[in-house]
Amino acid sequence: MEAEMKNGGGTFSVSRVWTMAMATVTQLVRMRILVFLVVLSVIVVAAGFMFPVFSAEQQLKMLKYVSFGALQFFSLVMAIVATALLLPKDIEDRTLYTILSKPVPRVEYLMGKFFGVMFLIGGGLVIMDVLLCGVLHFRQTLVLAQELAFLKQGHATAEELAVEAARIEAQGLGWNLQIGVLAVFLKAGVVTALALMISCFASSTLFTVITTFCLCIIGQGQELIREFFFHRTLDAAGEKIASGLFAVLVPDLRLFDVIDRVVAGNSVAGGAALFMTGAGLLYMTGYLVVAHLLFVEKEL
Amino acid sequence: MMGVQPARSTDTAVEAVSVKGLTKIFKSGLTKRPFVAVSDLSLTVKAGEVYGLIGPNGSGKSTTMKVILGLLAPTAGETRIFGLDSKEVVSRREVGFLPENPYFYKHLTGLETLLFYGRLCGLSGAKLRDRAAEMLALTDLEDAAGRRVGGFSKGMLQRLGLAQALIHEPRLVVLDEPTAGVDPAGSRKIRDLILNFRERGLTVLVTSHLLEQMQEVCDRVGIMAHGVMVKEGRLEDLIAVENQTELVLENVDEALLGRIREMVAASGDGARVVRMGSPRTTLERLFLESTDEGGKGAK
Repeated sequence: MEAEMKNGGGTFSVSRVWTMAMATVTQLVRMRILVFLVVLSVIVVAAGFMFPVFSAEQQLKMLKYVSFGALQFFSLVMAIVATALLLPKDIEDRTLYTILSKPVPRVEYLMGKFFGVMFLIGGGLVIMDVLLCGVLHFRQTLVLAQELAFLKQGHATAEELAVEAARIEAQGLGWNLQIGVLAVFLKAGVVTALALMISCFASSTLFTVITTFCLCIIGQGQELIREFFFHRTLDAAGEKIASGLFAVLVPDLRLFDVIDRVVAGNSVAGGAALFMTGAGLLYMTGYLVVAHLLFVEKEL
Repeated sequence: MMGVQPARSTDTAVEAVSVKGLTKIFKSGLTKRPFVAVSDLSLTVKAGEVYGLIGPNGSGKSTTMKVILGLLAPTAGETRIFGLDSKEVVSRREVGFLPENPYFYKHLTGLETLLFYGRLCGLSGAKLRDRAAEMLALTDLEDAAGRRVGGFSKGMLQRLGLAQALIHEPRLVVLDEPTAGVDPAGSRKIRDLILNFRERGLTVLVTSHLLEQMQEVCDRVGIMAHGVMVKEGRLEDLIAVENQTELVLENVDEALLGRIREMVAASGDGARVVRMGSPRTTLERLFLESTDEGGKGAK
């Protein structure tokens, strides 16, 4: 027994975090959340065959646009609603008592919940990403063949054919698409950490959902708000401090909006992707640290 | 029932639980006055004994238990489990807790629930699976191992609560109203389990409103009211009527009873027969015998 109890409390245990995370995944999966994923996946597939009257380029753009919309919708709804449900439900059902009366540090419980939601979002995004890539590849091959056949009928030169092919391929499958999916995942991670932090002091699930949703909207328009409130009223130093504080309190979700570039077929620079990843991880770490500080003091 | 495991040695000198000068004040809202849930409470539970904490609703029993388990922070004073401060997570390594009306993740089955709690306690592999199977057998939940907890009755939830509390072989078991909402047969099973814990040398800290049951299982009791301990001691000492003696006879005819009465009257010194008659069975025993649950419950 002694050997097995080596992680029985006191020190941080990855296996306990994993146990909590897997229980969270099972909980959410058995709450029939996958039905939601299936519906959105159907939308991704259907988007591949929706806009037949558009040009070849436009068809691929619309497919990416609708699919990324579905990816974002899935990840953000999961990040806000699923996370907001977890902690208050455990307190209300007193499940938290039986868990925390075991040798489980509160930080491990929180991390388990966070990683559980992230595994589920990540898994859902991988499934939808694979579907998107498959459908996009299929459509790309199809419209390229149709377009080239049409141009050949009009006696287009080899150069013209190559230009058209390059134009269509720019809208097709590429690594840029994966950077877009990474951006969606990071954004969901930040929102999940934010929702978890709010649920540590919120009195209800509804409060957490509404507050996180409002902060997401504010975070999306952060640049505009900073410009409007700080630029005109404060001096340069004051504006910098106020903007910095605002960016700390409310996540700047515009940082993750590389999707427009991906949908437009423009490449995303490696540096920008790295900056986005760093900022995302920083926001997640910050919110989780604050969540822990709030949760460790919480009276159950 | 738990004969597969050897009884542990009981070192009664060790304090399983020690509460010293515990005060817990809840501050809620700006306009509300602070509420004193527990005031300057001290108690000690020795290793191997069954200690009952009784009192009316709102007397501070559950708050005391939560502080002991580290779920609440004390406003003043300290609580220790086997010498370790309750604030330390490591102090919970030797504790199994059954909360009042326990709820578990409804989406998990009975077996999955035990595996989940076992893993949280650091168990794994074959040892964990064996232990979970053993706990299901102990609590008569083998048939429900594959069923989702959402469909469990109140009594089954309570027994699953006991199983998860015992999964990691704790030395201290804390039971908050373990028989609340459970029918007499289930209640008797839980009582038998507590008695079994005592035989095996486990320490039990239990609260209950069913005083008759507490009387059957507890070595010592503490009575709380309004957040303070009003009486504490060995059960036998607390409930004994000092100037009376009980004599239970079997197969006695009326003539012998008459002679006893005469002897008592003749002895002088104020001795008198207070009551004489057939002892009554308890309503619980009558219920169990009538519903044929007694045999099962007593196993």
